[in-house]
Amino acid sequence: MVALLTLFSALPALAQDAAKEPAYRAFPLIGSRLAVWAIAQLHLNFAAFILGVPIFAVIIEAIGWRTRDAQYDWLSHELVKLTFTAFSTTALLGALLLFLFIGYYPKFWAYMTSIFFPTYGIYAALFFLETFTVYIWYYGWDWLSGSRKWIHVSLGVLSNVFGTAILLVANSWVTFMISPAGVDDSGALKGSVWAAINNFTWMPINIHRLIANIVFGGTIAAAYAAFRFLGAKTDEERARYDWMGYIGNFVALSAFIVLPFAGYYLGREIYAFNQTMGITMMGGFMSWLWIIQAILIGVLFMGSNYYLWLGMERIPGSERYRRYVPMLIGILAFGFMVWATPRSMVITLDEARAMGGTHHPVLGFLGVMSAKNTAVNMMILTTFLSFVLYRRANKVSTKPWVKTGMLIQWAALGVAAAIVIFFGVYGYFVESLVRIGFSVYQVMAVLGAIVVVMAVDIPMFKGARSTGAIRWGTIAPRSQYVLILLAVTFTWLMGLMGFARSGIRQHWHVYGLMRDNSVDAVTPAIGYAANMITVVTIAFFLLVLFVFWLGGLGEKGKAEAHGHAAPIIAGGSDRH
Amino acid sequence: MRVPVAVKVGAFALVVMGTYTYYANSIPQIQSKPPAELSLEGGNVTTAQLVKAGEEIFHTKGTCEICHRIGQKGTRAPDLAGIGARAGKTKPGMSAKAYIIESLLQPGAYLVEGYPNIMPQVDKPPIALNRSELWALTAFLESQGGTPDVKLDDIPKTAGAAAAGGAPAEVKIPGDPKAGEAVFTGKGGCIACHKAGKIGASPVGPDLSQIAKIQTPDYIMKKILDPAGSGTVAGFPKGVMPPMFGQTLTAKEYTDLVSFLLTLK
Repeated sequence: MVALLTLFSALPALAQDAAKEPAYRAFPLIGSRLAVWAIAQLHLNFAAFILGVPIFAVIIEAIGWRTRDAQYDWLSHELVKLTFTAFSTTALLGALLLFLFIGYYPKFWAYMTSIFFPTYGIYAALFFLETFTVYIWYYGWDWLSGSRKWIHVSLGVLSNVFGTAILLVANSWVTFMISPAGVDDSGALKGSVWAAINNFTWMPINIHRLIANIVFGGTIAAAYAAFRFLGAKTDEERARYDWMGYIGNFVALSAFIVLPFAGYYLGREIYAFNQTMGITMMGGFMSWLWIIQAILIGVLFMGSNYYLWLGMERIPGSERYRRYVPMLIGILAFGFMVWATPRSMVITLDEARAMGGTHHPVLGFLGVMSAKNTAVNMMILTTFLSFVLYRRANKVSTKPWVKTGMLIQWAALGVAAAIVIFFGVYGYFVESLVRIGFSVYQVMAVLGAIVVVMAVDIPMFKGARSTGAIRWGTIAPRSQYVLILLAVTFTWLMGLMGFARSGIRQHWHVYGLMRDNSVDAVTPAIGYAANMITVVTIAFFLLVLFVFWLGGLGEKGKAEAHGHAAPIIAGGSDRH
Repeated sequence: MRVPVAVKVGAFALVVMGTYTYYANSIPQIQSKPPAELSLEGGNVTTAQLVKAGEEIFHTKGTCEICHRIGQKGTRAPDLAGIGARAGKTKPGMSAKAYIIESLLQPGAYLVEGYPNIMPQVDKPPIALNRSELWALTAFLESQGGTPDVKLDDIPKTAGAAAAGGAPAEVKIPGDPKAGEAVFTGKGGCIACHKAGKIGASPVGPDLSQIAKIQTPDYIMKKILDPAGSGTVAGFPKGVMPPMFGQTLTAKEYTDLVSFLLTLK
């Protein structure tokens, strides 16, 4: 198209008139695709943060309200403060992204508008509603305290409802590009816009993004706490940010455990929409991307568990459970190795002959989805077990039925592991469509075990005898680098998954309907994408630092006046 | 000297991201390139050229290799080794080429036992092979154990109708098709080499009777201005089409001509 426009420039006026409305314009220096890529990824990172953090901020506020514990209220306020300062940056990036689409991809945007115009007004209205609700939530913290606290908590809930609704509207645009619906062969809307919104991947991505946003918000809040912990001058400050980091990581981990299940659901719907797209994603030019994803998720699992184990060292009574750690490391390491094993390798002809083909005769079997699903489900069970051990580290149950309860818990975990392994092995003997369905049974087994174990655990340790208070602030400093590792890895993983989601459309703006005829129609290789993801992730963290610094400037010297001075918790607490 | 926390944390984050980036750059790098359009209509293409073009489509635009192998049994789709010999015996009364064409355009019409009904219609987006490409691919598949005898006319006229990629890529030309027809037969001299529906009969250049159906407006516009740079249809000699229409035609004549060609469906 660019070559064509160049040719047109040499022609007289009327011919140029024919090209007056180009399908594309070229962004200076870096090109239109990189410009859109960078701004879209940045916008998404900020949006995920400002949508994810308030969800657990309001939960924490509600806990503080019901338990009358000022510490929770302080933390909730601190978290909303972080998101509040990031709000305008998110909106600015969103506006910039819109300008890029209108200016550099005008025909694409015109087409999207022809389908989704009715949703624009809804999006704008929701944005206003969310913004003003968050304003009142944040600025009304003192005004709506005491007997009016329920109104304040309700405002927090309402802002999250509006925020989630914004996410659903924006997801309809993105998912339509992947799996268009409700349109005829020419791309024109057949009936209601609802059919286009409710396409194959809309609900799976809604669920996946909602959960991922909570994980993301948790990891960023935990990293912020880690940063403050490492720079803390007093024990009180260290204790406060140790606790904040723990809460952030706890929320992130709780949501992260169910995230792979949402991923399976999304993958299944992609296959249901179009087999070719599904196969291209998992077995085509994108197949190596999943190896990198496996490594990143492996790092997240290992890091989360390592943080919990380090955290147990500051809990008197946790010595009883340290003997389980080598076993947990073993399962996680083995699961990690299985998940990171590629199905086939790029090798020389001689190497292939020596190996008997491009697939290793033994390890090749670990490269397929059956093995990987089994590995990740076992890693989830292991992480859950780490959390259960952490949770009871300084507690001794006083219930007479404790042995029966423990037996039920171990049985639930054992049965779940057996089901996961059974379907993992059986998956080798059935074809792919049936095999994909097995992942649902594996997921249900793991979720069932989590529900059963917690249903027993909560009453079993209610009123338990304490073996000592948690020594907040005494955790090893390397644990704080683990929190930073988790935040950086998850942010990078979001960029990678964004590339996967966008890349599976290949040379289509809207899959199968609107072809990408621009000079950037080539979908780049993973190395190029990784370079881009790293650059944008660095830019994101620099912006986050700047925004937090700005927020800190505004709050300096005002904490006492607001009544949100951090409570002192150093010296021990039973709080988990 | 005490290193500030921000520096330590920043360096740590850079090392983490650097490691991921290094690893991503060290594994096999595979791009996904948009497939090129192939046009053989009206061309004096030999069987060997047709089979070669079909093989290229099999490996690239057709995306057949994602599921099918030749000489290797797959779990998603049948092995295509010997399909040219087998196809004529699969459905009674149906020739090899008819069976292959039906398999490409209506994959669910006959399923090989043991395989799921997952194959997409290859003339529809996102694969969207045009008639020329279907012709070549059929010839290639026939050549696997059989003798290619497929003709362009064996491919249904309706096949590949959506191959251009949908309405949004459409370019509206403010020209007059009737005036363009006059340019085609008159000043442009196109009629000397090309047939366009009922107009002309010369076999020197490709038959343009359905050019708007099988080619994009972008291609047509560029081909007139830069014939050599737009490639030569298989079976025709290179460098025959004059390269000076950008200078000899006025802008109005050019847009009229393009408008006329876009009516040829």
